[in-house]
Amino acid sequence: MSKSIEKFPKELVSPLLKLQSLGEKNSKLQIKELFASEPDRFQQYSIKFDPLVFDYSKHRVTKDILEQLIALAKTKQLNQWIERFFSLDKVNCTEQRAAMHWALRLPADYSKFPDLTEQVHSQLQRMYTLVEKIHAGQYRGATGEVIQDVVNIGVGGSDLGPQMVTHALSDFKVKTAKPLNVHFVSTMDGSQLSELLHQLRPETTLFIVSSKSFGTIDTLSNAQTVRQWLEKALGTHTRVLKSHFVGVSTKADKMTEWGIAPENQLLLWDWVGGRYSLWSCIGLPIALSIGVEGFQQLLAGAHAIDEHFQNTNYEQNIPVLMGLLGVWNNNFLNIQTHAVLPYDGRLKYFAAYLQQLEMESNGKSVQRDGQKVELDTCPIVWGEVGPNAQHAFYQLLHQGTQAVSCDFIAPIQRYNADHFTYVENAEALVEQHHLALSNCLAQSRLLAFGNEALDSTELEKLPIYKQYEGNQPSSTLLLKELNPYSLGMLIALYEHKVFVQSVIWNINPFDQWGVEKGKQIADQLLPILNGVQNDLSALDASTRGLIKILLGKVDG
Amino acid sequence: MKIAVFGTTLHAGVMAALLAEYGNQIYWCTSVTCEENISVLSYQDQEVNNYLNKQRKAGFLQESPFSTIPLDVEVYLFCFSPTQIQLALNTVEKLSQRPIVHPRLMVNGSTFGLHGTDQLKQYLPKDEWVYFPDVIQEGNAINSVLNVKHVIVGVESNHARDTMQELLRPFFRFSYQYLFMPILDAEFTKLSISGMLATRISYMNDLAMVAEKLGIDIANVKHGIAADTRIGAAYLSAGVGFGGENFSHDILTLSSTVSETGAKSRLLEQVWAINEQQKEILFRKLWNYYHCNLNGKTVAIWGASFKENTSSIHNSPIHILLAALWAQGVTVRLHDPQALDEIAATYGDREDLVLCTDQYEVARGAHALCLVTAWKQYWSPDFKQLQQLMQHPLILDGRNIYDPAYVKAKGFAYEGVGRL
Repeated sequence: MSKSIEKFPKELVSPLLKLQSLGEKNSKLQIKELFASEPDRFQQYSIKFDPLVFDYSKHRVTKDILEQLIALAKTKQLNQWIERFFSLDKVNCTEQRAAMHWALRLPADYSKFPDLTEQVHSQLQRMYTLVEKIHAGQYRGATGEVIQDVVNIGVGGSDLGPQMVTHALSDFKVKTAKPLNVHFVSTMDGSQLSELLHQLRPETTLFIVSSKSFGTIDTLSNAQTVRQWLEKALGTHTRVLKSHFVGVSTKADKMTEWGIAPENQLLLWDWVGGRYSLWSCIGLPIALSIGVEGFQQLLAGAHAIDEHFQNTNYEQNIPVLMGLLGVWNNNFLNIQTHAVLPYDGRLKYFAAYLQQLEMESNGKSVQRDGQKVELDTCPIVWGEVGPNAQHAFYQLLHQGTQAVSCDFIAPIQRYNADHFTYVENAEALVEQHHLALSNCLAQSRLLAFGNEALDSTELEKLPIYKQYEGNQPSSTLLLKELNPYSLGMLIALYEHKVFVQSVIWNINPFDQWGVEKGKQIADQLLPILNGVQNDLSALDASTRGLIKILLGKVDG
Repeated sequence: MKIAVFGTTLHAGVMAALLAEYGNQIYWCTSVTCEENISVLSYQDQEVNNYLNKQRKAGFLQESPFSTIPLDVEVYLFCFSPTQIQLALNTVEKLSQRPIVHPRLMVNGSTFGLHGTDQLKQYLPKDEWVYFPDVIQEGNAINSVLNVKHVIVGVESNHARDTMQELLRPFFRFSYQYLFMPILDAEFTKLSISGMLATRISYMNDLAMVAEKLGIDIANVKHGIAADTRIGAAYLSAGVGFGGENFSHDILTLSSTVSETGAKSRLLEQVWAINEQQKEILFRKLWNYYHCNLNGKTVAIWGASFKENTSSIHNSPIHILLAALWAQGVTVRLHDPQALDEIAATYGDREDLVLCTDQYEVARGAHALCLVTAWKQYWSPDFKQLQQLMQHPLILDGRNIYDPAYVKAKGFAYEGVGRL
């Protein structure tokens, strides 16, 4: 532990050591005691940043601990890193690229990076034009019929982000001249395609082939299948490709080679990581669903967090605190898993999205300088829509042996905008929302306070197996309502939380070398399964055995 | 009889003229808001205007401000357009404040959907109410009243029925010509007739699509169907779809009535959807002809009104066609004998819209000529002149008025609806 510490004057004990001793000292610290000793703990440990409230009072922290966490961030030069991140610097060191997803949400009149802003907005504008044309019912298939179904073909960042947001903002679906449905297809085995294609008409279906590299085999194999499906119905003409495919990628030449017409190519750049790309034209399915104005709101919400992150002192800086609390739980309280629990069914895919964002970013064990990491890095991130999870894994949270930290997320208002999708049933639905909110509060309270949250008379007679230990820390994020702006904020918060943690752990959150090799090995195995090659000698015994069964040479 | 007519629809004009013609004294309140300033109406249909002027001169018809309508008028006729229900309600409310000796015969000649007559009756409950459906066809107004074999009348009492029969006696001499039924039934019948006609058109358009793919000429099929006496010849033409304010309004009213009752019938929705789809069929033909690339092309269009002999462009296929063409970057050159002013008022000045008062002028430099309305002057054009003016000789016949073989022999590429 130490190389970095020795640079500092010896008489000062480093924040890391202080935190370690604080961690040991407070290992038995009970959340209920913290609340007892600090009556205004909610006021002290929550931040309001309109339209969002971040309550972290149910964490096992004191002012002293927070002070040391902030000191740790400072010794890790978080300030300088934030500055480097919000510049053209190549902070993605292993790939020698910048990581400028923040630039994707710069307002058009932003003066600091005029060229960059211009570049971003010229592509956004092209996307908006396409969206408007589709919404007006004037985007035509090869036969001249109006496009009514759009299928996004992508995987990873080209799938999880757009799908998560599209689902989350379903109440903000805009009315279009003709009914418009957006679908998502990702898995390489074609599962979703086979389910979908027989319900669609080739004449009225548009496909978005979304791949940063335009080389992802999962995406290209799906694209190839739909191409055949289209050509079978409409004939093999360039006009079929031209009218039914839009490409989103960094590689214009590869899109052209595949057959996507230049006017249907939307570009992004190497400096956007896949899991950070929903703000670019990768977000086309989002814009198709919530409209151009909605998409701009999403960007504006994220930009508001970008500004907040750069310009707010750490004590009031939500992403910094989220990152540091995670570090405290993970590295000093030894809580190795983190659950995300939205109390809003629209955030169904939020946990899956965060799994990629956090675990692909910070699931690393080598520091930027090539040394092994000194601290554990990314915890296991998991989660589910809260009310449903209550009937699944909450048992473990309440009475299991694992320590788990949680994020509760809930909108304050719902069903309040008279949107056509729910307006007729708004009254009953609002009741249901209140039911969900009361459950959200009840669960975080029970997790934190355990038996304390129960009625004391009831407690006396309670057998041990009906008791609750509590002391599971959690944050609660309340949004005034879940809308494009607040969702943009929420996502950007987590993006920056991940960055903060990567700085503390001194790792590069923007590469993903761990997912590259498997693809290559699959490329080696494919010819064997296709029967083109049959030399198995280089393989291990398990793989050899399995291949034999797959090839039908041995009875499975 | 002394009769007061309220409203300005074509139905109002025709009934005022015809009733005056047979010696009734007509007081026509042409201000729908019952103001004292009263205007003398004229319609697109010159025949109706001639009838009206004749009776104005003869003194049987006079435009009358609300306050000058005599109190001893025996029959009140209300002919408002479907969207003017509030104005109609205001009018009957105002009437209810006059010292009229009730009951009088109150005739609702407006299409306000189901229970429309009942709504009016609420203000004048002591009077005898009758529903007399508006069956006027634009472009054929006078005859569309005089030539019906049976007249549908919604009545609730014998007295109303007798008075109504007396009122219509000059036009319908025989008692078998009257189909009396309860008011609600008559209102539903009126909508159902429009629904049936629309269904026939959409049915033919649906068949036309198939006919095209199989190499069948829908015109032959149409004649064959029409020859069957159980079916008859009306409303069997495939084409670019039906339009018109009242007709379209009827279909939508009927369709929403059906869905509000919770019945799962989707027939009328389909009829409507097929028709909307049909309105852009000429666009799709162009799109295919030019391999999905229309950007920068010029398209000539003949006809904008929803049918011939009217200047109305209400729900005309022209709107959907224009939107589709413009979205692809096409410049449109448009001719219509009567509807150009309406088009100009709707769309204003645009670079991609050129309005021409000469029907051949639109063809200049055009990559295609689309026929949207079957005005008589389009039936036998000077093909040679067209050929010379057009950049590419393509004719898309949205009403199937040309002989494909002849047009092709003249050197044109030709496509109709349901025929190639």
